[in-house]
Amino acid sequence: MFTMLRRRAVSSVVPLLVVVLGVFFLARLTGDPANLYLPLSATPEMRADFAARNGFDQPLVTQFGDYLAQVARLDFGESLRTAQPAAEAVLRAFPATLQLAGWTMLLALVGAVVIGSVAAYRPNSATDRIASFLSSTAASVPDFWLAIMGVLVFAVTLGWLPTSGTNGGAAWILPVATLLVRPFGVLVQVVRGAMVSALSAPYVKVARGKGASEARVVFGHALRNAAAPVLTVAGDLAVGLVNGAVVVETIFGWPGIGKLMIDSVLQRDFAVLQAAVLVTALAIFALNILVDVCHALLDPRVRLRAAA
Amino acid sequence: MCTRSIARRRPQRAAGVLLSALALLAGSACSVAGADPIGEGPDTLRVVLPEEPPTLEPCDASLTATGRVTRANITEALTERDPSTGRLEPALAVKWTRTSATSWTFTLRPGVTFHDGSAFTAAAAAFSIRRATDSAIECNVDGYIFSDSEVTARAVDDSTLEVETAEPDPILPLRLSFVEVVPTSTNPKARVREPVGTGPYRLDEWSQGRFLRLKRYAGYWGEAPDYAAAKYVWRAEGSVRAAMVTNDEADVAIGLAPEDGAGDRAVEFVTNEVSYLRMDATRAPLNDIRIRQAVNYAIDREGLVTAVFAGRPSGQLVSKGVTGHNPRIGPWPYDPDRAKDLVAQARADGVPTGTTVTIIGRNGIYPKAAEAMEVVQDGLLKAGLKVEIKMLDVNAWLEYLLRPFPKNTGPTLLQAQHGNQAGDAAFTMGQIYGSEGAQSSYGTPALDAAIEKAQLASGTERQKAFAQAFARQNDEVVRDAVMANMTGILALSPDVRYRPDSATSDEMRLADMRRAD
Repeated sequence: MFTMLRRRAVSSVVPLLVVVLGVFFLARLTGDPANLYLPLSATPEMRADFAARNGFDQPLVTQFGDYLAQVARLDFGESLRTAQPAAEAVLRAFPATLQLAGWTMLLALVGAVVIGSVAAYRPNSATDRIASFLSSTAASVPDFWLAIMGVLVFAVTLGWLPTSGTNGGAAWILPVATLLVRPFGVLVQVVRGAMVSALSAPYVKVARGKGASEARVVFGHALRNAAAPVLTVAGDLAVGLVNGAVVVETIFGWPGIGKLMIDSVLQRDFAVLQAAVLVTALAIFALNILVDVCHALLDPRVRLRAAA
Repeated sequence: MCTRSIARRRPQRAAGVLLSALALLAGSACSVAGADPIGEGPDTLRVVLPEEPPTLEPCDASLTATGRVTRANITEALTERDPSTGRLEPALAVKWTRTSATSWTFTLRPGVTFHDGSAFTAAAAAFSIRRATDSAIECNVDGYIFSDSEVTARAVDDSTLEVETAEPDPILPLRLSFVEVVPTSTNPKARVREPVGTGPYRLDEWSQGRFLRLKRYAGYWGEAPDYAAAKYVWRAEGSVRAAMVTNDEADVAIGLAPEDGAGDRAVEFVTNEVSYLRMDATRAPLNDIRIRQAVNYAIDREGLVTAVFAGRPSGQLVSKGVTGHNPRIGPWPYDPDRAKDLVAQARADGVPTGTTVTIIGRNGIYPKAAEAMEVVQDGLLKAGLKVEIKMLDVNAWLEYLLRPFPKNTGPTLLQAQHGNQAGDAAFTMGQIYGSEGAQSSYGTPALDAAIEKAQLASGTERQKAFAQAFARQNDEVVRDAVMANMTGILALSPDVRYRPDSATSDEMRLADMRRAD
């Protein structure tokens, strides 16, 4: 297991560097931030001062070298917009996104396992058809529309929930529900597919023949074998959530990393953007490793391959 | 047996790892939820903004996001302009006189204290002016209000301030209405994030990313405001801001569009923002005045303000109440036939009317910005021009707004908006219509001379000179197609009494918000 973890960590370094490099250079191709940060009638001297103070007067390669040296010292620079340390902004925003994504995946997984298993238990039954139809609809509903409809129906018309914000438990319901719908829809389909084939496998018949209870057959035997593909898809969906909570965070005023990234792109706030992307990339690598660990624990063949 | 029990534990461990990771993430949820320390009792006014202020630095108060929280709430200036009458009123200065062409004397209000308990004196006023006009900290107000002018401020005694300018400046007291006064203990060499001022509210708590709370300042020199506290939150989506007021989660929501659904809570008001298209008059076919006139005739302004965005058709860049506004300049009439004729005439004279003109638009500059440009494009195509649209984000668009302009772009029409919040055409004419203006792509010597003359005049002469300069622009230069004086919409709770004015978008005075009962 340790060998596998070490290999994965080492193989993550190159893609991480590519991400850092890409964000650094692409951000700087999008125009001079002085236009945004200085008054419209700024004099050439003010522009030169601004460039010198932020190191933008240096060649791009020098800027990148300086940045890498800074990162090595765990200094992620200062926000152009707020003059606060970029790391502070990212560390403040990241847990909010992680918590949102965490709740969403937990509920999506639990719900999908129950519904998917029930649907797979009697393929082509009315329950199965309804579950398939609803899950494929859920997998294709746009987040933006869902969020606005959620606000209109549950906050404005019915008055059951707050429109937005982070104040109190009720504020979690709409953002989590909005984020939940798509992963839930996808996972129900994956669980159902995997369970249909698992339930028709010979070992299930053997288990039934030995007199195991139906609950034990479904959740003890079939689900264990169906777990690997579900875990892979759930891992991908979780990555998508960490990376793509932008719409939901923007609409509900959730102070997370998605909103921070969008704001820093629009504000050409390079230091914050770079730090946010770096932390997100690290989180995604960590999540992928976590999925691999779970795979290895589930499937001895994976462990053997990793050890080889 | 042993093997079997280990095999059974493995999936349990796998699920355990996953669940415990998720639970760990979710378990810290209380750091986001339920930790809001704000009691939102009836004494707190709840305001929802489109964006969080990046800073409350007083010398950046000419930036909308900063100014609407800071100005006249946390900090105050020596003078203040009444947006309804256009008159300059006393604030921290009670009177001022021009003692020579280049110097002014201000008598300061007695008994004023800063939120830290220190006394407001002429030394603090002089310090604040120096700090704001010292480009070492690149204050926004320096570039926006003072640009190249040199100002020297000196405390004569505790209540008398003398201000000198290098060049005669007839509107110095108006310029000083943008200098927010801070105590001498403020860092003179770096921007501050959380200011100390003399205003009716002081900063109480700023939970970054979540909310900002102000508390009534007990030592305020003026009338105490109705609300003991104010809480600002921010939501980017207009429909959510409107819903917060209809759902009684906020008392005031600003920056709304008609389709945001504020219903009977919506209050419309005329802003000082004017939308226009800047024509690149140096490139064919826009270098022919007939084509520029044709563009003006081809735009259906009534249609735009009825169907696309909220506003009133307008023909000049400054709105009523701004010194220099010319009441005789009306919006260009919608006359598609005339537009077609003018293009045909120019074509017959060899003007390359088939050259593609690019509309450089800016997403979000006002509601339905892209749709507005499609309406304009349609009118211009019907007039016989070839037009395409390129919509950009703010920074990419700024490359086209400000000098030096991008090269090899072909003829362009730039979608722009101008809000003269200072109340004097000097803040419009030079930079937008002067040959060398930061936002100007084209000017003429005659117009430059008219602008220069107006800038040095004062009183009624100043009004007349700027009005004439606008007329000259409209008749002889036709550099722009001004479209509309924009209307702002805010949503207001029935419990709050507040009358917005043309300055509301930039400056929301909490003290003007009163209980309805």
